Amino acid sequence: MNRMGVHWRYAGLGALIVVCLGLLVVAAANIIRVEQQMQISATQNMTWIFGQTQIEALSLSAALSNDASSSEVLLRYDLLVSRLNLLQDGPQWRFLSEAGLADGVMGWRDGLLRLDPAEGGDPAALKAHVTALSTALRQKASQVMSREWQVQSERLDQLRKLDLLALAAIIGALISGAALAVLLVDRERRLMRARVDRLRAERLQRDLILERAASEGYRRFGDLIAHQVRTPLAVIDSAMHRLTRSGKPPTPEVIRAKADVSRQAVARLIRLTDTALLMARVDRGAVAPELACHDLDRIAATAIEELQAGRRVTLRTGNHPVIAICDPVLTSEILANLLGNALLYSPPDREIAVRPLYSDDMAMCDVCDQGSGMTPEELACAFDNFARGARHRDLPGTGLGLPLARHLARLQGGDLTLRPREGGGLIARLSLPGKVTA
Amino acid sequence: MTDMKPLLFGTVMLALSTSQAAAEEVLLTLTGAVAGGQVELTQADLDELEWHEIATSTTVTDGRPVFRGVLMRDILDHAQASGDIVTARALNDYVIDIPMDDFHAFDVIAALYMDGIALTPRDKGPVWIVYPRDDHTVLADIRYDMRWVWQLTALHVQ
Repeated sequence: MNRMGVHWRYAGLGALIVVCLGLLVVAAANIIRVEQQMQISATQNMTWIFGQTQIEALSLSAALSNDASSSEVLLRYDLLVSRLNLLQDGPQWRFLSEAGLADGVMGWRDGLLRLDPAEGGDPAALKAHVTALSTALRQKASQVMSREWQVQSERLDQLRKLDLLALAAIIGALISGAALAVLLVDRERRLMRARVDRLRAERLQRDLILERAASEGYRRFGDLIAHQVRTPLAVIDSAMHRLTRSGKPPTPEVIRAKADVSRQAVARLIRLTDTALLMARVDRGAVAPELACHDLDRIAATAIEELQAGRRVTLRTGNHPVIAICDPVLTSEILANLLGNALLYSPPDREIAVRPLYSDDMAMCDVCDQGSGMTPEELACAFDNFARGARHRDLPGTGLGLPLARHLARLQGGDLTLRPREGGGLIARLSLPGKVTA
Repeated sequence: MTDMKPLLFGTVMLALSTSQAAAEEVLLTLTGAVAGGQVELTQADLDELEWHEIATSTTVTDGRPVFRGVLMRDILDHAQASGDIVTARALNDYVIDIPMDDFHAFDVIAALYMDGIALTPRDKGPVWIVYPRDDHTVLADIRYDMRWVWQLTALHVQ
């Protein structure tokens, strides 16, 4: 989705949230208003008040007709005045005014007060006034009731309107909430899909890099084999050609010399194959070191001996034996490899030193040659598979020796490092977990 | 307090200025579970009790009139009333039952003055039961409004 689309999507979500919350606020406000209006006030009882006034008028009228005691007449008079006073109080008066029924009420009360029996008012005139009053009240009573029901109905209408509004707002909020939920679920699904796509792309990229590296490795291995296998085969072929050449048969010396050359070439081929096989086994984790305490001096001595390199290699042991926790076969393979390199890359007249020693609880074995050494660039990639120094392309080698040796060292909990030797040459240091003797 | 003195003085003068007969006129008659089965209270009897003021809105007037009178529970205590229900009766034979608890939960007064003017039978007097409507939201309800008995003359305790 493009940036514009994302903006619209967020704007839509925001609008939906605002609408949803806004509708809920409207609903809540209406419900509060309904709650506040859900109250019966005494002013909504005007029919009763009006009825009471009528009754008091009739009672006074009856008292006057029956020649009742003056105190009884006075009581009835007071009660009627009090009812008329009540009708003139704020809320009642407003009700009557709004209903158009207020006309005359004031006049009746004033007329009544002028005929106060306590102040010697004329009973006959009072009776006539009260009779007229009760007739007028009777005519207005139905209007009061009608007005009252109308007010009540309007109030209910208002409440119903608020209630419907709240209901509509809630339904609206429900709809927008549902839309919001749908949008969010959709968004979540898109995010999930994007995440899966990204993971798949990453995995593909990783596989591609691995595949490229493997393919590059195979190519270089192919080159190497072409070179390293061809050379010994060419040597053997040349020797065989010399031995089978027509003409004078070769002397026994020549035959022996050619046989030696051929055997060395075969040995190189076997070594190459062994190295490649071991590397393959290490690569697939099929090599399990058998770790135990071994004398590194002795392993080094055996390796020198097996290479028949005693003439050029000097073993410089210390005062105490150096004991390493290692697999003797693998360690021997490493040292043979390092010694092979030293012999190959340094001049025949320069000494190669092998020094077993302890450093920081590690058992070490330095192989120091006085050859041409390695450039920093060569050191940097010395442990890459199939890496060969540009200057030594013509010398036999697989480019697997050093990586294999380091693998084997690390399998035993140790390591292999290279550093230039002061005064020229290279120091290869094999370090293995050491056992300090007392 | 300085304002209160003239007010009190004025009230006392007003009470004294009414005739001796008026002071002895029976305002309230308590019957039922009261001392001796019947207690009659005059203005003089009420004057002996502690007086209180309530400013409150009412359902039948505008504004917030100030009512002066005696706490209903003081009147009932004075008459040694014991019961759960007080049946109030007005001059026009309006009758309503009021739970005794009302008078203990709220400072309900038997008002004799509104805005400093004595209530008379021509208005809502001589006695008007007034609830502190504005102090308790629960009182703004028709069920309590019905208990505001005006022209109160008798209380029957049971």
